[in-house]
Amino acid sequence: MSKLEHTDGPILEIDRLSISFFTRLREIPAVMDFSVSVMPGEAVGLVGESGCGKSTVALGVMQDLGKNGRIVGGSIKFKGRDLGEMSVEELRDIRGNEIAMIYQEPMASLNPAMKIGKQLMEVPMIHEGVSEDEAYQRALEVVTDVRLPDPERMLNSYPHQLSGGQQQRIVIAMALMSKPALLILDEPTTALDVTVEAAVVELVKDLGKKYGTSMLFISHNLGLVLETCDRLCVMYSGEAVERGSIEDVFDEMQHPYTQALFRSIPLPGADKNARPLVAIPGNFPLPHERPPGCNFGPRCDYFEAGRCDAGDIAMADVPGNDRHATRCLKFQEIDWNAPITVGEQKEKTAPGKVVLKMDQLKKYYEVASNALFGGGAKKVVKANETLSFEARESETLAIVGESGCGKSTFAKVLMGLETATDGEILLDNQNIEQTPIEARDTKTISDVQMVFQNPFDTLNPSMTVGRQITRALEIFGIGDSDAERKARMLELLDLVKLPRAFADRMPRQLSGGQKQRVGIARAFAGGARIVVADEPVSALDVSVQAAVTDLLMEIQRNEKTTLLFISHDLSIVRYLSDRVMVMYLGHVVELGDTNQVFSPPYHPYTEALLSAVPIADTSVEKEHIVLEGDIPSAMNPPPGCPFQTRCRWKSEVPGGLCESEVPPVRQLEAGHQIKCHLSDEVQERMTPVIKIAAE
Amino acid sequence: MDPLSWTGSIAFLNPLLFAALGLLAISILLWIVIGAVTPENRAITNEGGTLSLSAGPQGLAALAVRITFLASAVILLAYVVLGLVMGTGAGIIGAISQRMLPVWIALILLFTLSISFKRRLGLYGKLFDSPIGMIGFGLVMFWVFTGIFGAFDMIVTHDSLAQASGMKNKAPGTPLRGAEDGDFAWYLLGGDNLARDVFSRMVKGAWEVVKIAPLATIFAFMVGITLGLPAGYYGGKLDTFLSFLANLILAFPVILLFYLLVTPEIVATGLPQYMAVVLFAFPMVFFGVLLNARYRTQPQKNLIILAVVLVPLFLMYMSLINAAGSKIDFWPLDFFDVPGGILVVFVSVVFVNSPTVFRIVRGLTMDIKTRDYVAAAQTRGERPWYIMLWEVLPNARGPLIVDFCLRIGYTTILLGTLGFFGLGLPPESPDWGSTINEGRKLLSVYLHPALPPAIALLSLVLGLNLLADGLREESLRD
Ligand SMILES: Nc1ncnc2c1ncn2[C@@H]1O[C@H](COP(=O)(O)OP(=O)(O)O)[C@@H](O)[C@H]1O
Ligand code: SF4
Ligand code: SF4
Ligand SMILES: [Mg+2]
Repeated sequence: MSKLEHTDGPILEIDRLSISFFTRLREIPAVMDFSVSVMPGEAVGLVGESGCGKSTVALGVMQDLGKNGRIVGGSIKFKGRDLGEMSVEELRDIRGNEIAMIYQEPMASLNPAMKIGKQLMEVPMIHEGVSEDEAYQRALEVVTDVRLPDPERMLNSYPHQLSGGQQQRIVIAMALMSKPALLILDEPTTALDVTVEAAVVELVKDLGKKYGTSMLFISHNLGLVLETCDRLCVMYSGEAVERGSIEDVFDEMQHPYTQALFRSIPLPGADKNARPLVAIPGNFPLPHERPPGCNFGPRCDYFEAGRCDAGDIAMADVPGNDRHATRCLKFQEIDWNAPITVGEQKEKTAPGKVVLKMDQLKKYYEVASNALFGGGAKKVVKANETLSFEARESETLAIVGESGCGKSTFAKVLMGLETATDGEILLDNQNIEQTPIEARDTKTISDVQMVFQNPFDTLNPSMTVGRQITRALEIFGIGDSDAERKARMLELLDLVKLPRAFADRMPRQLSGGQKQRVGIARAFAGGARIVVADEPVSALDVSVQAAVTDLLMEIQRNEKTTLLFISHDLSIVRYLSDRVMVMYLGHVVELGDTNQVFSPPYHPYTEALLSAVPIADTSVEKEHIVLEGDIPSAMNPPPGCPFQTRCRWKSEVPGGLCESEVPPVRQLEAGHQIKCHLSDEVQERMTPVIKIAAE
Repeated sequence: MDPLSWTGSIAFLNPLLFAALGLLAISILLWIVIGAVTPENRAITNEGGTLSLSAGPQGLAALAVRITFLASAVILLAYVVLGLVMGTGAGIIGAISQRMLPVWIALILLFTLSISFKRRLGLYGKLFDSPIGMIGFGLVMFWVFTGIFGAFDMIVTHDSLAQASGMKNKAPGTPLRGAEDGDFAWYLLGGDNLARDVFSRMVKGAWEVVKIAPLATIFAFMVGITLGLPAGYYGGKLDTFLSFLANLILAFPVILLFYLLVTPEIVATGLPQYMAVVLFAFPMVFFGVLLNARYRTQPQKNLIILAVVLVPLFLMYMSLINAAGSKIDFWPLDFFDVPGGILVVFVSVVFVNSPTVFRIVRGLTMDIKTRDYVAAAQTRGERPWYIMLWEVLPNARGPLIVDFCLRIGYTTILLGTLGFFGLGLPPESPDWGSTINEGRKLLSVYLHPALPPAIALLSLVLGLNLLADGLREESLRD
């Protein structure tokens, strides 16, 4: 099947596109007056919070808006031809053949019942009618190109036999099979771990260059866009608010929303005292409740009544810059270099006495290796291997690591949902490691509470917000009467800065950030002294993350809480924690205070993790360390050092020690420990991963 | 008195109706054929953003279907309205329509109220956005109201058990011989083999169904839920055991079981009664655990609430299972006895339905127990039953409600089947199954006694299925 002729001019040209969804209640304008163009070989980023219309734009390009979505204005031109005027057959040819799309969830694009090789070969066989042999050769080639180990075996396996990162690579390979002119990636790495994400991003970038594919890269992560794209378009509430080259938008932003976005994310390059996080006040407007005039008006620091809310605002070119445009009336009046007005900074209370101590904690699971019949040899999964640390009052201890490293298991053992295999957990010098939660007294239970990761899952959808908090109060035995508990419940809502009227709302009426606040209120209902926060903000939008993080820290300051902050996002960890514990495959590989962990000498895994974090700052130079392969399964850990399969320093250790012996814990400076065989001399040679370029 | 014809003076509507129905059938056929041969059409955006479907032959056919359907509906409505006004002047249809006046009023009230407040009524309100759901709900409520009003002797024209001389197997519309003042002068749908009024028996039969089917289904659900929750929540050996049991029951030939249960020897052993002891205990256990789980932190309040709910339940339970002169006869406060036949019906319905309910609940529980709010409940030290009943069950309600509607339909059919085989209900009972069975014997000669209950059964079950479809569709939408 032939491809469309293309002379020069943009590959994709979206002009004043408007898309609406029609529900039985109303029309929902999801995208309004959106324009962007992608030149051949160019990668354009599309950034914005969830719900701002990024995916709708992508689906609009694919002409796949479902039953109730329609393009209500504007045009989408692909290689100069209007997609809206093509017939169904023409569109079918273009999709998959000329425009390929990669979704967040790799399994959404793979057929679970078909071997990988067959799925890949189908693409050229259907679209180009090539022979089976040739299709196989092509499949082999792309699988090699996406750097999957042992391509032949890969082609012969089913999707569920691969890890998430490998699946996503296969999806990318599939998209590349037909050598499309345009690749649309919709949050392609959100479901992946940081180090795997870094490798996939690197891959996408290289392949884009190799195949000359244009890309539309959709992400909520400014750092990722910086690493992958040439140009960028910031969206807010259905509109493009700023558009331009990466350098222009990052360094000379011309829209208050872009500025607010940058100010609300922690940048490791900046000092946390000089550049505190500034949350964007208020909430994202729902599509049918947008304010008149500027959509960002109600949350904008520069809002001018009578002007900003007078009427629709058009994109305006920024003079002097190439193809840089912004949707703000006042962009030429705002002093973009004015320093951030810092709110009142509260002193952190110094850490107090030790409240929680883990000593050589071990948690092993026994799993039957033959799931079907339950028989056969039992396998042992070592989810936690000799965990030791102390946590003090009012201290924030960050626990960092990727999926499967044992963070959740550790939380479960601490909470009493599982009992430890070996070792000790001392809460106020009392052993609790063998006490399951049913046997714990109310005081212990209410002392150790948890904030969960997924805001959409953390609240029971069929119970009012107030009732859920009150239930926690009842269980913890707080208050003598219903009236007293109600009063306390309302106070808790105040504590998390939610209006008291929310007590009668159902969770579905709340935004993600608000739900997370309710989750925090519930955790603090019994006056918790130790709170385990399992990635409490990672599922929230950046502008909300800052507010929720601030809230957690403020409550911690006032209540002197010990916060165990589980996260994989090193930027936020650096911003808020006192000490950091890095875990890999059940082992604590590094533990120290924040400065010690974030500067050399590193554990090789910490180093890679630091390098993998996308940083939205053009002045930061990162050393590129791409880890090969995936995290090994905890069922089948490698012998010796758990990190040895991916470690780039392994060759510096003589005698193959890394492969044979689990490294001992080495004390460096006071309180800084690393589990690695590397000698002091080698560690001396390590250089900082993140460097701020001299201004 | 003259016999009534079917439509009396509104017979002029008949050709119109036939024409409309004929056209409807033709347009549906056309629509299907055209849809199969022409390519799908696309939405086209016109200048200025307006939108139209490309009006091909397919669009025209769809339009024709819609118009003919509306026409048929309007004509049917005309029968009802004219009949309402003219009564027996409009023949049998008119007379029935007039007798049904309370049902019409109730339906209109229900629909206007529901539609005007539909945005505030949650899933029930959403039902009124779906035509299918509304039709289904309308059919179901029609029979529910008919049953209820019939129970108050409002719609029926004669005593459903009384036999009138000379009315044996008489055709619909036959005037009652020797009718006195105050008697309704016709057998609207004719007389049956024992000279009873078919119309009145059908209306009374609706009450039998409306009375028993939902209640029996509720019991099946309680059993299924009470066992399905722990199976899904704990998993492991308990789950294996209960699932095995469920499969075993599902593999059991049900009719055989029914016959066994009504065999006099078996009844004499008290087996049905012992089964009732177990079966009817479930609501008590269910509500006891439900309330205790929630209020256990406030012992005082807990005690009061439990007492208020459980004492009446217990008294009812004891009255239910205790029957003078049977195997279980020791309880002094026996307020009522259940006829043994009804018990068989309940036992059968629970037996047939609870394993399937069990499986649905188990599956939903296994899914929901992985949610963070369940983990949150665990980490604040909630007991398993609280989590199952208050955190898991409410969030499984969507699929369960849909299934409940479907299952009432099955139960209605099962009731019919049982009645047909003469099991369970007393022989003179007007329930639809028994009536059909009686009518069957003379089916080749007299069709009219068997047809009304059969159509009633069909339309109620159809209504329940449509209602379930509507609910399912609406609960999936935004
Ligand atoms: N109940 C269990 N049975 C068997 N293996 C488990 C169980 N829970 C966790 N694991 C294993 O323990 C390892 C650590 O898991 P987890 O603590 O959930 O990691 P994380 O929270 O960092 O994603 C994983 O490999 C996981 O498969
Ligand atoms: S137009 Fe006004 S409200 Fe909108 S971003 Fe610019 S200054 Fe803020
Ligand atoms: S022990 Fe060896 S393999 Fe492990 S982290 Fe250190 S150098 Fe790498
Ligand atoms: Mg986890």
